[in-house]
Amino acid sequence: MRRRSFLQRLVYSTSVVAAGAIPFALSRLLAPAELLLARRHLRPPGALKNDGAFVAACIGCGLCGEVCPPRCIQFHRRDGGTQVNTPYINPEEKACTLCGKCTEVCPTDALNPVEREKVDMGVAQIDRSACYPWVDRGICGACVSICPLGDQGIDFKQWNQYQPVIQQGCVGCGLCVEVCPHPSLPIGIVGRSQGRVMGHTVS
Amino acid sequence: MNNTVIDKNAHQPLFLWKHLNKLRWLSLTTVFAMLVLIPFLHVYQTFVSAHTYDLLSVSEKQIFDTMEWLSSPFISDPEEQLDALKGNTWSGSFGGVQLSDPLAVLGQIVSSQAFYWPFILTALIPVVLTVFFGRFFCGWICPATFLYELNSNLGVLLRKSGLHIGNRRFDRRLKYLVLAIGLVVAVVSGSVAFAAIYPPAVIGREIYYAIALGGFGSGIVFFLLTLLLDLLVTRRGFCRYLCPGGALYSLLGRFRLLRIKRIVESCNDCAKCTAVCEFGLDPLHDQFGQECNNCTACIAVCPTEAMTFYFSPRDIANQGPGHLGRKYRQQNTLINQAEKTIDDK
Repeated sequence: MRRRSFLQRLVYSTSVVAAGAIPFALSRLLAPAELLLARRHLRPPGALKNDGAFVAACIGCGLCGEVCPPRCIQFHRRDGGTQVNTPYINPEEKACTLCGKCTEVCPTDALNPVEREKVDMGVAQIDRSACYPWVDRGICGACVSICPLGDQGIDFKQWNQYQPVIQQGCVGCGLCVEVCPHPSLPIGIVGRSQGRVMGHTVS
Repeated sequence: MNNTVIDKNAHQPLFLWKHLNKLRWLSLTTVFAMLVLIPFLHVYQTFVSAHTYDLLSVSEKQIFDTMEWLSSPFISDPEEQLDALKGNTWSGSFGGVQLSDPLAVLGQIVSSQAFYWPFILTALIPVVLTVFFGRFFCGWICPATFLYELNSNLGVLLRKSGLHIGNRRFDRRLKYLVLAIGLVVAVVSGSVAFAAIYPPAVIGREIYYAIALGGFGSGIVFFLLTLLLDLLVTRRGFCRYLCPGGALYSLLGRFRLLRIKRIVESCNDCAKCTAVCEFGLDPLHDQFGQECNNCTACIAVCPTEAMTFYFSPRDIANQGPGHLGRKYRQQNTLINQAEKTIDDK
């Protein structure tokens, strides 16, 4: 009888672990690989610098997404493994306007209120082999005119040229990526600390 | 017989208790409706803040108009004032009051291995209420309970139509094991693992995903599996045997003050209370324990008004068969006969 009940409990606990693993397994299976690229995967402003600490602190309540006025904060709904249900911003679809509502509403310390000049979501990078003004295919300046930080974030190379140059004050909100009219998006957000160079292919 | 009638009048439960079950359904429905409404209000808010009514599609315009019609009597500035109502039962801010599930706080402390007091204090009100009222969240608020109870009603319909519905019983302590395993997983993986397998959190999130972000996440598959478990294996199986939040609430509500009691003088042993109990408890034999969520279904179903609330940190011991039942009468007639024979002698 004792062995029987022990075996029963063994079966129960295994099935419990298996049941807990179902969402993770599903999220692994359904994960499209390119979604986790850094340039399409920004954390909301004020997020903890260390991504592991961010995932540990985030409880996946979705409050940051529920207050976001442009609805740019998305969630790892079906992908991301342990990052499942954590928020991210894909600036190619919808970029952050640096309003800071998400940092105020976050119940945990995953998102902390910061001044908009001190936000660090990454830094923009321009591929000068594709950007229209840089290859002399006309005038544009969309990225410079949308930048919420004005000429601190991005500016023209010279007053009469429409060639954009990233400035020191760029916080990586991604609005320039959202408005870029070039189909292959020669502008993208990369991690500041990693020193990564944006991978970009002309389609 | 006269004695029992007098006793019954002395222990009459308050007339209100019988109707609490309807109030509970109202509460469950309201919470679920809010979970559906809040994402729509958020979508409306984003349309307002973008000033793009003319660019919206027909269905988006319908959402805009409906939400404007619903909210305009109460607020003047939707962009700011609708922020007062955000979130779900996992964590939310309601009129400036931040409330979180105690399980979210516990999971977050364990996974981040740090105490962030502003967040921990958001669980204070639920914890205090649970200490007083027991597992009330499970019966009165949980949005998954709403669907699970509808699911068990479906099970009753299926059984009436002749289909086999699972009604197995397992060890109730299994859920404490799930809670422990979940805490270990949270430490090892460094993420709040409960959020993925805790039905109220899953439901709140998935409704938001479906309405505002254009599609369900993977959590809905897990939730459908638990619905199947409840239907095919055991009634309310997830809540009774697997739910980590239920385990935490049961532990917190172990010495709850508000309890349901059987008035043995007016009980007639009909066992309807035991049959109706969603959590498979046994009110007929006074066995409530820490799992009772004060859902009051047994009070509502009792034909002789033999169920009532009382204040005590512990359950009363088994009071034996009800005084209006056949068993008690037989025992008593035997005793009376024995007394008579003694008197005769």
